[in-house]
Amino acid sequence: MSTPAVAVQRELRDELLRLDELKVHFPVKMPFIQRLLQREEAAVHAVDGISFGIRAGEILGLVGESGCGKSTVGRACVRLVKPTSGRIFFGGQNITKLGGENLRVLRKRIQIIFQDPHASLNPAMTIGRGIGHPLWIHRSSLGPQKSGPEKFGEWVRQRVLNTMREVGLTPEAQLYDKLPGDLSGGQKQRAVIARALILKPDLLVVDEGVSMLDMSIRARVLELMLDLKRRHGLTYLFITHDLATAKFICDRIAIMYMGRIVEIGPAREIYADPKHPYTKALLQVIPIPDPDKRKEKVLPRGEVPDAVHPPAGCRFHPRCPAVLATCGWEGRDFVDFLDEHLSDQKRAGDDESVLGPIEGWRADGLVASLKAKPLNVEKTVERVKAVLAEAPIAMTQAIESVSGRNRTVTVRFRSPDQLLQTNVQDRLVECLLYQ
Amino acid sequence: MYRRVRGEEIALIFQDPMTRLNPLMTVQDHFVEEIQVHESVSSTEARNRAREALVSMGIHETRIRNYPHEFSGGMRQRIMIALALVLKPSLLIADEPTTSLDVIVEAQILEILQDLKQVYSMSLLLITHNLGIVAEVCDRVAVLYAGKLVELGSVRDIFHKPLHPYTQGLLSSIIHLETKQLHSIEGSPPDLIAPPSGCRFHPRCSFAESICRDKIPPLVEFEPGHFAACHFGDKFL
Repeated sequence: MSTPAVAVQRELRDELLRLDELKVHFPVKMPFIQRLLQREEAAVHAVDGISFGIRAGEILGLVGESGCGKSTVGRACVRLVKPTSGRIFFGGQNITKLGGENLRVLRKRIQIIFQDPHASLNPAMTIGRGIGHPLWIHRSSLGPQKSGPEKFGEWVRQRVLNTMREVGLTPEAQLYDKLPGDLSGGQKQRAVIARALILKPDLLVVDEGVSMLDMSIRARVLELMLDLKRRHGLTYLFITHDLATAKFICDRIAIMYMGRIVEIGPAREIYADPKHPYTKALLQVIPIPDPDKRKEKVLPRGEVPDAVHPPAGCRFHPRCPAVLATCGWEGRDFVDFLDEHLSDQKRAGDDESVLGPIEGWRADGLVASLKAKPLNVEKTVERVKAVLAEAPIAMTQAIESVSGRNRTVTVRFRSPDQLLQTNVQDRLVECLLYQ
Repeated sequence: MYRRVRGEEIALIFQDPMTRLNPLMTVQDHFVEEIQVHESVSSTEARNRAREALVSMGIHETRIRNYPHEFSGGMRQRIMIALALVLKPSLLIADEPTTSLDVIVEAQILEILQDLKQVYSMSLLLITHNLGIVAEVCDRVAVLYAGKLVELGSVRDIFHKPLHPYTQGLLSSIIHLETKQLHSIEGSPPDLIAPPSGCRFHPRCSFAESICRDKIPPLVEFEPGHFAACHFGDKFL
């Protein structure tokens, strides 16, 4: 008999890597005076509380647009950036605060491959030396270190040549003494993979590892990665913005938006039936290479907001086509709407004299307010109410009150519902639609 | 002479909107300079036209005095398009206009480019490596390999009946959502200092015969409006 608690523990044991409420914030540099006046430290919320696990022998895809924090997650797993809070477990061991020699031993087991193979190789090191370099760094913990430097050097050379053959970097004997500049892009990426594999790691973090390669070469490198997984039982964290590639290679997919995972689950199911509106949008915009299948798309409005001040509630709510009244509407959403409304050419120009100027509006949390001329307060309140009839219905419903007092017009929103990750058909979705 | 063609007749937008705008000039200055180089109008008039062009791309006119760094990538690309359109050219050349943008913003920009065809009845030369975009936006397609035109035809001909083995290889190496099996073209692109003799694709072509090495294939019209430069093009008809 296994109780649920035991099952959870077993699952934890099977997991090679687990992130628990991981946060990585980067402080924003600002002048001293401004820092004194600021109530809280301004920071880019690159990764803002994410949790997931990777089982041994699995390929997990981490997918999102640029700036969503996916690369920061990858770097945090290898401990290249310091987590602000949260925990990282590798093989059951808490590695969040590991340092010094312990960290060096860990790096033997987790390796990372970066996007740009041209920048990842030292241009002054021959290919053979570059690939074998990790062996020299970790010499003390490797087998034949006691024999003299010549013996070790010979052992390294053999191992490098074997690895080069394995990743298809052939003829390996000729390429061994070449410099990175002599190699093509695909060959360089194979060299980078060989270098990552030479220590026989358990986990490989691939950060946009094929994005810079030509279509025809990309296919071959992907095949190599799948082949290595089959032969060595390698585990991958595959970070990419390309959903089509992710679908082909990944067992499970995590969709990231502004530092949060909005949906995570088995790849097949997510592609067959995406749940989160952001996942739906991403899947919809992938161009289909068939001119007969052109279709109208419903695109999310605008662009990814500033990660220093992420939107309240669900971070996708200002752009979401399926947004609800409880998704996190706040003061600045009203100001943004007003801005858009006033800039619409078709409207009468006198709107701004009553409703604006737009620069006069202040947004603070759930409240947006305007210092109006004493005579105008009531007129403005009326006008705001009228204008709201044209706003997205979810936003209008989220407004608690529009009031005018002491020469100030105030628009107040209700507090949003708490957003939780919900289990929907084998996956976790962070969206109020499913709560 | 060139000046009258450039900008007024043919406009160009580049791949990287981040670096193509002058960081020391406001958006308005970009427009005023461009308009006044080509037409003798007052600065006020030029500013008015700039404002119109920006608003037509969905950028608020109050932002006209902002500097490029104050805009996001997608907005900068829209400013680039507005700059290209303000002189109402008849041909717009877009060189990888969305490559450095995110997928959703990419779709937004493509929608704008498609609208241009209808609204301004403008011709568009779209340069891209992304075949998905080609299928979505283009009417006709020209396929280049190693500096040579290898195939030219309507978008349907190219995608459904590719005649040149390179086009076929290119199409089968696309990774899209229905991909079950990965394909790739053997070998790598040739050295253009000493390009291969005859058909430049022959070292990588699985259909190549001796004629392909000896003779440069001419661009032949195999069916109305569908050209290919392959000795064996009729084999694939």
